[in-house]
Amino acid sequence: MMAPGSLVDSSTRVGFSARRQRLRIASYAIAIGVAILFLLPLYWMISSSLKPEYQVLASPPVWIPNPVRWANYPEALSYVPFGRYTLNTLSISLLTVLGHVISCTVVAYGFARLRAPGKEALFVVLLATMMLPYPVTMIPIYIGFNTVGWINTILPLVVPAFFGSPFYIFLLRQFFLTIPPELEDAARIDGASLLQTLWYVILPTVSPAMATVAVFSFQTSWNDFLQPLIYLHEQTKYTISLGLSFFRSSYDVRWAYLMAVSFVTMLPIVIVFFLAQRMFIEGITLTGMKG
Amino acid sequence: MKPIRTGKRLNLRRNEAISFYLCISPWLIGFVLFVLGPMLASLAISVLRWDLLGEASFVGLRNYERVFTRDPLVWQSLKVTTIYTAVYVPMELVGGLALALLMNQKLRIERLLRTVYYLPSVLPGVAFVVLWMWILHPDVGLINTLLSYVGIDGPRWLVDPDWALTALLLMSMWGLGRSMVIYLASLQGIGRQYYEAAAIDGANYWQAFWRITIPMLTPTIYFNLVLSVISTFQTFTSAYVGTDGGPLDSTLFYVLYLFRQAFQFFRMGYASALAWVLFVIILGLTLMIVRSSRRWVFYGGERE
Amino acid sequence: MSRLSRYAGFVVGVILLATACTTPEPQIIERTVEVTKEVEVIVTSVPEVIEKTVEVTKEVEVVVTATPEPLPDGAKIILRVGTGDSGEGLNPHQEIIARFEEENPDILVQLEAVSGRDYYTRLFTQIAAGDAPDIMQIGDDAVPNFVDNGAFLSLDDFISGEFPLDTSIYLPGTLDPGQWEGTQWLLPKDFSPLAVYYNKTIFDDAGVAYPEDGWTWDEFLETAQTLTQDTDGDGDTDIWGAQLTANWTTGFEYFIAAAGGSLISEDGTEFVGYMDSEDAVQAVQFFSDLYNVHKVAPPPADFSLWAGGNSQFGNGQAAMRLFGRWPLAGYRDNPNVDLGMVGVPVGDERANTLFWGGFGIFSGTEHPEAAWRFLRFYAGEQGSDVWKDWAIPPVAAAAEAAGLTEDPIEGVWISELDYLVPRAYVFTPYWGQTADPALRKALETVLIDPDADVQAVMEQAAQEAQNALEDQM
Repeated sequence: MMAPGSLVDSSTRVGFSARRQRLRIASYAIAIGVAILFLLPLYWMISSSLKPEYQVLASPPVWIPNPVRWANYPEALSYVPFGRYTLNTLSISLLTVLGHVISCTVVAYGFARLRAPGKEALFVVLLATMMLPYPVTMIPIYIGFNTVGWINTILPLVVPAFFGSPFYIFLLRQFFLTIPPELEDAARIDGASLLQTLWYVILPTVSPAMATVAVFSFQTSWNDFLQPLIYLHEQTKYTISLGLSFFRSSYDVRWAYLMAVSFVTMLPIVIVFFLAQRMFIEGITLTGMKG
Repeated sequence: MKPIRTGKRLNLRRNEAISFYLCISPWLIGFVLFVLGPMLASLAISVLRWDLLGEASFVGLRNYERVFTRDPLVWQSLKVTTIYTAVYVPMELVGGLALALLMNQKLRIERLLRTVYYLPSVLPGVAFVVLWMWILHPDVGLINTLLSYVGIDGPRWLVDPDWALTALLLMSMWGLGRSMVIYLASLQGIGRQYYEAAAIDGANYWQAFWRITIPMLTPTIYFNLVLSVISTFQTFTSAYVGTDGGPLDSTLFYVLYLFRQAFQFFRMGYASALAWVLFVIILGLTLMIVRSSRRWVFYGGERE
Repeated sequence: MSRLSRYAGFVVGVILLATACTTPEPQIIERTVEVTKEVEVIVTSVPEVIEKTVEVTKEVEVVVTATPEPLPDGAKIILRVGTGDSGEGLNPHQEIIARFEEENPDILVQLEAVSGRDYYTRLFTQIAAGDAPDIMQIGDDAVPNFVDNGAFLSLDDFISGEFPLDTSIYLPGTLDPGQWEGTQWLLPKDFSPLAVYYNKTIFDDAGVAYPEDGWTWDEFLETAQTLTQDTDGDGDTDIWGAQLTANWTTGFEYFIAAAGGSLISEDGTEFVGYMDSEDAVQAVQFFSDLYNVHKVAPPPADFSLWAGGNSQFGNGQAAMRLFGRWPLAGYRDNPNVDLGMVGVPVGDERANTLFWGGFGIFSGTEHPEAAWRFLRFYAGEQGSDVWKDWAIPPVAAAAEAAGLTEDPIEGVWISELDYLVPRAYVFTPYWGQTADPALRKALETVLIDPDADVQAVMEQAAQEAQNALEDQM
C-alpha cells in the first residue's frame, strides 16, 4: 500500500506488492511526462539563446540552432556589466534573507504560540497589509525614503526585511501551528528557559520552514525589478533584473541575449534549490513524537 | 492555596501577553513605518486630483464616485480579474497538491524532478512572461507549432480577445512549482504514526488520503488559499509585459488599469481611489475565508 | 559544523559583502550669494490700486560654474543625465560624455539609464519627490505635459546667453517638438520620420521594379499585391507584400494626414467630426483592406509589442515594411535582407510625421549652467559629430559632412523631413488619456474583425475620445 506522504515501508505486506509496482510505474510515467512539459519552454529558451538573432523568430521555427552561436553568451553578459550586477544582487538578496528569516520567525512564534489580547485583530491587520496594491503606496514610501536620504542606496531594499514580511510570517505561523506544543512543554517541564527552548527545541523543528522562507525570500529579492528600478540610480549599483531590462527597449526585444542572460542568472537559484532541498523538504527531524 | 494559584496564573497570562508584543514588535514597528504611514498617505491622495508633476487639488469623493458610476473600464477590469482568480486559484491548489503528492513518493530521481518543477518559478517575472509571449506567438510559437504537428490550427492567443486570458492562465500554470514546494514541506511534516495506525486498522490509499492527509494539510491549504486569492487579485506583471491589457481590454487586470491611471494618465488621485476599492474587496474576500476557516481547518498544534 | 558557527559564518559573510559594495560620496562646493532684484508689486489693500517697484534682496545658494575655473582637488560638479536608451544605444551617450568631460574637467557626468516604459515610471517617481536627474530625456508627446507642470527650465535665455547656441544649424523640423507655446524647452537627441524599407532580393526574384520617391497609394497597393505570393502552393502566404504598423496609434497619423484628414480640431476640443470624418474613415478603410481584403500585410502577432510584433520583414518573408528608422542597423546586418529605402507613399496629400526624443534641464536642478553647457555640447555640433555614426545627427552640417544626405538609404530619412505635419498631441495635452486608447481600440477592432464596419468603429472611437476629453476638462 502506498499511503500518501508516507515513509512507511510496506514491503512486509504480502499481496500488495503487485499493486504497488503498478502505482510506482504510473507515478514515474506521470511525473516524467509532466516534467517534459515543464522542460519544453526551458529547452526553447536555451536553444534560442544560442541562435543568431534573426533566427529566433524564424518561421517555421528552428528547433536546433544553426549555426550555434556560443558568442551570444559572452556578448550578452558584457552588454552591460553583469558581473558587477550579480555582486550587487547577491549582497541585497543575502541581507534580505537574513532579515526575513530572523524577524519573521520571531514574529510568527508570537502569533502561533503566545496568547494576548488583540492578537486576532492584529493577525487580520497582518493579512490586510498584503492587500493594498504596490503601485499606490510606492510613491509615499519613496518620498519617505527620500526624506531620510536613502535613495540610491540599497537601504530601502534591505532594511524593511528586518521588520518582517506578512507573507513569511503567515507561512511560518501556519507551520508552527502544525507542530504540537507538547514538545516545548516537555522541555519547559525539564527546566529549560525560553531561550533554551527556542534554540534547542523549536528551531530544529521549524528549520524546514525557515529554509523555505530563506529560499523564497532569496528568489524574490533576486528577481525583484520594481524596487531596484526606483531606488537605484547609479548604473554601478544596478541589479541583474535591471540589467535584463536593457534587452527590452520599447520597440525591440533582443530575444537571444535576453534568453542567454536569463538562463545564466537562473542557475544560482536552481543550484541553491537543488542542494537546499535536503534541508527543507527531506530533512524534517521527526523529533520522536510518540503516537 | 487558591488565591495564590489565581495570582500566579494572572501573572503568567500577563507575562505571556508581554512576550507576545515583544515578539511581534519588529513587525509592528515596521508596519507603522512602512505600511500605515504610506497607506494613510495614499488614502489622502485618493481625495485629491494630482498628476504627479504639478499641484494637487482637493476633489472630495469625486474619484470614488467615478469608480462606481462613470467608468465602465473598472467593471471590465473587475470582471477580468475575478474570472482569472476564480479559475486560477483552484487550479493552483489542485495542481500544486497533485504535484506535491506525486513528488512525495520515493522515486529515485525525485530530487531532480522537483527541481524541474520548481525551475520556472525561479525565472525573473519579466523573462518568464517574455519567454511565454514568444511561446504563444501565433505564427512561430512553440504551442502553435506543436498543435500544427497534430493538425490543429492554433488560435492567435495573445492577439485574440477570446483567447488572451486563457493564454495568460496557461502561462501561469508553468509556475506551479512554488505552491508544490509549500505543500511538499507540509506533507513531509505529517507524522508517520498516523499512517502506521491507519495501516494497522486496514485503511486503503483513498481512506488514508481523505481522513489523514487532507485534514492534516488544511492549515497549508488555508494558507495557500488566502495568499493565492490576495496575490492573484493583484496580478500585474504578466498583463503589463505580455498584453498591456489587450486585445480590446480582454486582459485588463485591475492593478494594470490602476497602474495605467497613475503612470500613463497621470491621475494619481484616481489610482489611489481604485487601490482602496480593491483593498476593500480583497479584505472582504479574505475575511470570508478566515471566518470559514474555523469550520474546516484543523490545527494539530494549537492550544485550546 | 555546529549550527551556531554556520549561522555566524553566514552573518559574517553577509557583512563582508555589504561593506564591499558601498561607494564613497563625492564632494560639491556651494557658496551663498546676495542677489538683489527689482520686483513689481500690485497693492490692492487700499481703495486705489497702486503699482510700485520694490527692491528685494535674497540670499541664494549658488554653485559656482559660470566659468570653468579650476576648483580645488576632488571637488567636481556632478550632473545626472536620465535616458531611456539601453545597451548599445548607450554607447553614443558614453562617448559624448567622455569627450565633454575631457573639455570640461570641472564636471562629472553620470548617466542613469533605464530602458523603455520603465523609464517613465522611474522618472515620475523622481520628479514627484523632487529628485530628478539634472538632464532628462523625454519623448515628443510628453513635452506639453512636462512643460505645463514646470518640470523643465526654459532654454531661451541660455540659447542667447553666455554659452550661445545657433539654432539655424538644425535639420528642418528637428527643433520643433522641443518647443511649446513659443519657448524652446528641449534640444533634439534623435528623431525619425516614417519611410518604407524594401527587400531588393524579393523584388528582383519577382521581376518588379523598385519603388520611386513620390509614389502613390495605388502604386503601393499594386506593388504589394504583385509581391504577395504563395511560393510552395500550400494555401498559406509565404511572402507578404508589406509589413505594416498594426495597432501603433501615433504611427497611424501618417495615414490620416496623407488622406487629407486630421484626428482633432485645431483648437483641441473636438474629436467628433474629425476622427470620424470622411478622410479619416477612408484612411482606416484603406489600412484595414490591406490586411483583410487584399491580404498583403501579415496579421499582427502581438498587440503589446510595438507595431504588432511582426517579424516577417526581418525573416526575408515580406517585401516591404513601413516604419521608422529604429531597426535600420539590424536590417543592414541581416543576411535575409538586401536593403533598399524609399519615402512613404503619397495619398491625397504628401505628408509624414516625426518621432522625436530630446533632452531638457530639470527645473529643480542645482547646476543649471553646468547642465546647459552639457546640453549644448550634446545637442550641438560636438554631439552630432558622435551621433553621425549611430543615427542621423540633428545638425544639418554634420549630416552632410558624413555623406548621409546623399546616401541612398540614409538620405531618404532626411528628405522626408520636408513633408512633416504636426502630430495630434500638439493640439491637446490629453492625447494619451483620450484619443490614444480610443484609436488603439479602433485599430485593434478592424484588425481582429475583418467584417467590422469601419464607419461605425471610427464614430465610436471619436465619441469615446470626446467623452474622455470632456471628463478631463
